[in-house]
Amino acid sequence: MSSRRTGLLLAVAAGACVPGRPAQAQGDPYARARSAMVDLIERRGVTDSATLAALRSVPRHEFVPPEQRRGAYGDFPLPIGYGQTISQPYIVGYMTEIIRPRPGLKVLEVGTGSGYQAAILAAAGSEVYTVEIFEPLATAASARLARLGHARVTVRHGDGHFGWAEHAPFDAVIVTAAAGYIPPALVEQLRPGGRMIIPVGTVQGVQYLILVEKDRGGDVTTRTLIPVRFVPMLEGLR
Amino acid sequence: MLAVSAGTLAYEVLLVRLFAIEQFHHFAYLAVGVAMLGVGASGTIFTLARARRALDPDRWLAGATQATAFALLVTPLAADLVTVDPTRLGWDAGQWLHLGLLQAVLAVPFALGGLTTLAALAGATDRPGLVYGASFAGAGLGAVAGVAVLGVLAPPRALALPALLAALGGWCVAPRAATALLLAGAAAGAARPPWRLDLLPYKGLAQVRAFPGSRVVAERSSPTGWVVAVEAPAFRFAPGLSLAYRGVFPPQRALFVDGELAGAVSQWSAESRALLDWQPAALPYAFGRRRRVLVLGAAGGHEVANALAHGATDVTAVTLQSAVAALAGVPDREVLGGEPAGRARWLVGDARSAVARTREGYDLITLGPLAGGAPGASAVAVGEDFHHTVEAYRLYLARLGTGGVLAITDWLAVPPRGEVRTILTAGAALRFHAGEHAARGLIVVRSWGTVTTLVKPDGFRPAEVDRIVAWAAERRFDVDWRPGLPAPVTRFNFLERPVPFEAARAAVGGSGEARRFAAAYPFDVQPATDARPYPHAFIGRRTIAMLAERGRGEWLPFAEWGYVAVLATLVQSVVLAAVLLLLPAVLAGGHGREGRARLLAYFGAIGFGYLFAEIAAIQQLTLLLGHPVYAVAGVLAALLVGSGAGSAWSDRLAPARAAAATLGLALGCGALAAGLLPLVHATQDWGLVVRGVTALAVLVPFAAGMGLPFALGLRRLAAGNDARIAWAWAANGFASVVAAPLAALIALEAGSEVLFLGAGAAYAVAGAVSARPS
Repeated sequence: MSSRRTGLLLAVAAGACVPGRPAQAQGDPYARARSAMVDLIERRGVTDSATLAALRSVPRHEFVPPEQRRGAYGDFPLPIGYGQTISQPYIVGYMTEIIRPRPGLKVLEVGTGSGYQAAILAAAGSEVYTVEIFEPLATAASARLARLGHARVTVRHGDGHFGWAEHAPFDAVIVTAAAGYIPPALVEQLRPGGRMIIPVGTVQGVQYLILVEKDRGGDVTTRTLIPVRFVPMLEGLR
Repeated sequence: MLAVSAGTLAYEVLLVRLFAIEQFHHFAYLAVGVAMLGVGASGTIFTLARARRALDPDRWLAGATQATAFALLVTPLAADLVTVDPTRLGWDAGQWLHLGLLQAVLAVPFALGGLTTLAALAGATDRPGLVYGASFAGAGLGAVAGVAVLGVLAPPRALALPALLAALGGWCVAPRAATALLLAGAAAGAARPPWRLDLLPYKGLAQVRAFPGSRVVAERSSPTGWVVAVEAPAFRFAPGLSLAYRGVFPPQRALFVDGELAGAVSQWSAESRALLDWQPAALPYAFGRRRRVLVLGAAGGHEVANALAHGATDVTAVTLQSAVAALAGVPDREVLGGEPAGRARWLVGDARSAVARTREGYDLITLGPLAGGAPGASAVAVGEDFHHTVEAYRLYLARLGTGGVLAITDWLAVPPRGEVRTILTAGAALRFHAGEHAARGLIVVRSWGTVTTLVKPDGFRPAEVDRIVAWAAERRFDVDWRPGLPAPVTRFNFLERPVPFEAARAAVGGSGEARRFAAAYPFDVQPATDARPYPHAFIGRRTIAMLAERGRGEWLPFAEWGYVAVLATLVQSVVLAAVLLLLPAVLAGGHGREGRARLLAYFGAIGFGYLFAEIAAIQQLTLLLGHPVYAVAGVLAALLVGSGAGSAWSDRLAPARAAAATLGLALGCGALAAGLLPLVHATQDWGLVVRGVTALAVLVPFAAGMGLPFALGLRRLAAGNDARIAWAWAANGFASVVAAPLAALIALEAGSEVLFLGAGAAYAVAGAVSARPS
């Protein structure tokens, strides 16, 4: 076999091995902004290569309303309707890294929102089951994820308090909607050795990320991480 | 003019309530600042207008009266168009513009009201005291009316009252047809208000309302709070619930006061009641029988249910809101397993007075994570809360029977701060009661999201400690501190640093060790006192510098942004006031430089003195009267009516008496600094009416004296010169605008007693200035 043909075959093989990478439009006008966003997230301490690769590959601007696209790659949350937001990119990166995404990881997400977090997890190779309590958001996210080629994401409209027993147990649970408690069902559906990350408490708009870990014996411990804001945003001067 | 002043003051009082509902309570004091901004700006407008041509005071009076009524109708609509996100003030410059614009919009009715008074003064230069007195008296009545209307109408409808009052003022001085139109507009506003309550989306009510299937099932308004009950299938309330709990949740209704979550009303069943034993609040029942239980800051009946489920036979729940008591009711004792002989009752009133009046010895006094003061109803600063001061904890401990326990649960914060302050405050109160035995009287237990501090003056017995440790382990809660613990032991819920252990060790180690710990901690966690009742404020000058070193957008969640909001308003107020009040006066020119400086100094100083004393009195009398709204209305009414009387009487005094009046006020402020808070403590257990009369008896004579300096100063230093009158007005307005947020910061940093001393110093400066010969 000629070296040129070998090189071609290797390139094809390499492309086939990249997990869950949906097709991207030629000449992506947001590529530079996306790269700058990820560079910022990396400087702020997110170093997991799978997470960073996923952040670089997923077009965040596809997950925000058209009128918000100009700010799609800024490090701040944006409104997506129904009083909800797409999370600040750094927080998405932070939470994803905590989950340790990898091919074959089975993840439950509570709070689909725009579907961006689910897309990030899927781009990193995980199998994602995501629940959204607002039906219009669930429907829109499902269509968006399908259009962008994220086949490893299954969206359901429902109350995340009950988890998703039919597909349990999960290697990881990621909750992106602020809660005042940790739902027992989510702890139950976490596989031994698994991790859950959830924002809890809500005092004047501030919550705290809690990492819940279940060891091999099924015992659960928690670790309080950082303060965050999972809240809707004002739309400015009206 | 009396009616116009009543209208604008009623609007100011209503703004305090509206800010507390729509925003967080940090902005409630903004109402005072925008009122002063508007009043001060009226002087500038008056000066500029008179500089152009001679004015007819009667025409100005008529026009300004009607304009005020019209502005009171449309300003709420204009304000609805301007949104401010105070949590972004630290990193979004655009929010400063929004804040400034909002202040300018809200100041308009006050500016027009001020013009009304100026026009009246211009038409009666020989009797400024009578005119000013009428303005004061009307304002005092407006303060009372602004509070009273909330007992009848919900806040949006109540906004019609100020316009109605101002329009009535036009009946005597303005064309009747136009006045009738304004009155009709006000009546229409009360019937179908075009204004809406626009809550920040961060507030709990806004978020739960967004849940699918949510619906408002009850809504009640009173001067002390706007209570809303919401049913939403996705809402669940269980602070710190154990991760080991595998049972069911009861259906729950969320209760909100002024838009913030105050608790939940649960429909308990025999199955779901098990949840109560898996929350940190059940800890006190794990190691002893608690028959007589006092629940402070109760909302929703959750703690009442908790007590009944654990065998309490006499449960008293105290709440400020009668609507909360009515909506929560008493949980089904049979379902909860409570003894038939037991009783549970609600007591509506402020917790401090309730505890001061009772002579019972309780087995348990409990405060939950939502038991802070009056949610969203702070009148003057960053959340006064008299439930969590050293004096409060001492009082609670004094009301415990033999073997009784005080239990306080806080949300866990990152970095820990509120829970640290609770531990240190508990330690201070425990040392007062137990002396050298305090080391045996403190236990701290932490879940994944809450910290519960137990205080037992009699000391925890070893068997009790063992039961607590076993109970906590079963629920995967960590015992951060127990008597004799040599090192932190964390098994279930890990923190970056064992701060609760360190704080508890310092708290029982003596006052010196506790002080050193607080001084070294990155945040302000020293115990709150009644003179400085800010248990939820952790930012001070030294913390700001530390936070500023962090990256933009990263430090904001730490920032306890209330302090930032107060600072922002101070800066904004200085700029706005300088532009609106001082600069036009400078450009308009006028009399000589030395005379102008003396005028500015005198009227500026009395402006600072008046506002400082007013805000210090409001803060201390919040403790006496039980709620900031009563304190705001009561203090404003007393000060304004008293000042009005004093101002009217000043026409009989020689202008040279200004120096004596101001120096007398300086001494009076000193007396209040030393004596008002002790008086509040001494009368804490009296009935509300008697306490109110006591407050009036102290304030009104002092307020009469406070009404003298402005009128006397006008006659001594302005001598009927219109330009000088406007200068005096502008200087006084500037000082008053700046004084409101500045007073909030002084109170935060140093307390209300120091604020009174600041008022005294300001009056002393005015006295020195006016004592110089002309």
